[in-house]
Amino acid sequence: MSNRTFSVLGLFDSSKELMDAIPVVKAKVSGHLDAYTPYPIHGIEQALGLKRSPVGGMVFIMGLIGAISAMAFELWTQGVDYPVITAGKPLFSWEAFVPIMFEVTVLFACFTSGLGMLFLLNRLPFFRHPMLRSKSMPHVTRDKFALAVEAGPEGQVLDVERITAALREAGARTIEILDQPAALGPISPRFLLRTTVGIGVVCLVTGYLTYWSMKLFPVTIPMVHMLDQPRLDPQRQYSYFKDDFGMRMPVAGTVARGHMPYTIKTEDEASVLANPLPRTESVLKQGRQGFTTYCSACHGILGNGVSTLTDAYGAKPANLVADNVREYPDGRIYHVIVMGKNAMLSYAAELTEDERWAVVHHVRVLQRAMNARDTDIPKEIPR
Amino acid sequence: MNESGTRKTLVVGAVAGLAGVIATGFVAGWERFWVNWILWFVFILTIGLGCLFIVALEHVVGARWSVPLRRVPERLSGLVILMVPAALLALIALPILYPWTNAEVLRDPVVGGKAVWLNVPFFVIRVLLCAGLWILAYVLLVRGSIRQDQAGDPRFNVRARRFAPVFMIIFGITITIVAFDWISSLEPAWYSDVFGVYIFAGTFLAGLAATTLAVLYLMARGRLPGVTPDHVYNLGGFLFAFVVFWSYIGFAQYLLMWYANMPEEVFWYKERLQGLWGALVLVLAVVHFFVPFLVLIPREAKSEPKRLVWIASAMLVAHWLDLYWMIYPVLGKGALFSWPELSFGIFFIASSFLWIRHAMTRGADMPVGDPFLREGLEFRI
Repeated sequence: MSNRTFSVLGLFDSSKELMDAIPVVKAKVSGHLDAYTPYPIHGIEQALGLKRSPVGGMVFIMGLIGAISAMAFELWTQGVDYPVITAGKPLFSWEAFVPIMFEVTVLFACFTSGLGMLFLLNRLPFFRHPMLRSKSMPHVTRDKFALAVEAGPEGQVLDVERITAALREAGARTIEILDQPAALGPISPRFLLRTTVGIGVVCLVTGYLTYWSMKLFPVTIPMVHMLDQPRLDPQRQYSYFKDDFGMRMPVAGTVARGHMPYTIKTEDEASVLANPLPRTESVLKQGRQGFTTYCSACHGILGNGVSTLTDAYGAKPANLVADNVREYPDGRIYHVIVMGKNAMLSYAAELTEDERWAVVHHVRVLQRAMNARDTDIPKEIPR
Repeated sequence: MNESGTRKTLVVGAVAGLAGVIATGFVAGWERFWVNWILWFVFILTIGLGCLFIVALEHVVGARWSVPLRRVPERLSGLVILMVPAALLALIALPILYPWTNAEVLRDPVVGGKAVWLNVPFFVIRVLLCAGLWILAYVLLVRGSIRQDQAGDPRFNVRARRFAPVFMIIFGITITIVAFDWISSLEPAWYSDVFGVYIFAGTFLAGLAATTLAVLYLMARGRLPGVTPDHVYNLGGFLFAFVVFWSYIGFAQYLLMWYANMPEEVFWYKERLQGLWGALVLVLAVVHFFVPFLVLIPREAKSEPKRLVWIASAMLVAHWLDLYWMIYPVLGKGALFSWPELSFGIFFIASSFLWIRHAMTRGADMPVGDPFLREGLEFRI
């Protein structure tokens, strides 16, 4: 009796002898049965009573996760986080995402089956499997069939004499007893040195080979084929069209996305426009920023028409907090921002539609602040 | 039900179906008659062609496991012969259903450009040529195999192995012609290069499903002694693989057209994605892909008769639905299914069963003269 025994092996001459021996040994001894054969034998899993591998289920679940996460990720990136209209398709074009979903499913499933089998189920890296150093190893990869009674992962204590007798009775020609592998010691400096040097050498060799082959075959620069394809760059000549322009004029009436043309001609017409933005803190901050950047140089930081420019050039910008401007409707102020007035130029290119409306809000804020009333002062002055 | 009772039922069914078929022409109009005719004739034809393909495939790759099962697809491929007169009869439908027979339509530059291929004389020549090639393949592969039962002449295997690769090329061309001529040319303006492959995927799947059903039927009656669940497992595996293949090709065709959004391509889908047709596509996705795919994933499902019978039957129904979805919209009357469709179904299915029952009287249930039969029976996974 020994708890240092890993397994007891019996060698048989043919697969039939092995298959016949399995029930005999199974009836005599308890313990994990395993077989080592040069080629797969049909039905041996059932005969040994091995449990079905969980790889299939793992692969299915991971494949499903791959499919769902790929589709969800694509829908999120393309439709939510950074919505871009591509080829006039809707944002949530699931059709276009199916190929990538398919690939990710296969990727997850393949990695799970490969790595799951090797690392989870076969417990790699397991360098010191006693079978690898046994005398039977050359035989079971060539012409013999081994039946093993193993201590198993929980380290069952094996009754060596009894197992040997059972294997002999079942017809085993040779018996081999394998000891438990020595526990893995701490990593030795020699091992570390060898590994580091080995990896370094591999890196140097592959790096040099890559460099050398790129030098030798300069034609095969990787990934330039997309640049080389026949295509028309913007602003280039192209004789296919009669006017020799490569770029085509868009169809009459085409409007760029987010750039609705401003068709109102007069301030009176514009008066009916209502400010679409709510007076929230972020809108007011945006308005102040737009005003400070573009308007304050002339109209002054307070909007009263007093600025550095006034002194230097004698210009007379409008006083935005004066009574006449206070009576302007929002739309009229907006119209002036878009179209300009007198010496003032259009600011349509500088400010987007929303920014202009935010600036209108800020002008209102300035007007209110510059025309403060006594009632604005709180009665109870906080101490 | 005893044997003669089954026969009587089938004959009564076929006659009653025929009455309904003829009534369809006079009551519901000849357009509907011919649309039904083409739908059912292509359905039965593709089952037969799929079986013929399975037979040839075995000879091409030199498969041994399928030798004990080979007589089943061999007998089923007789449906191709049954459908040859149906195809010749369907030529009457050309001026009624196929717009390219109209000189007015040919003036359209897109359809007119295809006039080299789409003209009545060439169409008739192609139908005759396909029928001739199929009959030749049937005689060489199936009749030769039945003849081998008595003499056990191994030279048949050599001949079949030489002819089968040639048949693969013939099959590839003729199945594409079936797809382009009978189905796709119903809407002559449409372009799809992959359509032949799509029809091939459905054809092979239908042939496999019919073969699986027949094998399970014969096994349940003990007429295939020595055939094990391991043989059935391979049929289940094939079904599983080609369910995915059909979906892959079907989706690839749709994806490219959806992406490019070319008018000469998308109109076909637009017609078939609206209203009830759109609902039918969802049914197709479920019955033709998701259900068989998920059911067939576990190992046991591929050899368990109960589940396989359901899946194989569903595949045949799905193949019919697939063809219905492609062919029927040309009628322009929506997704009809009423007594004309039912009587066509009864007529074609009953006649097919009668034909197969007749074919079952020829030769043994297994290719007993094939020298590889023993090896095939020894097959284990």
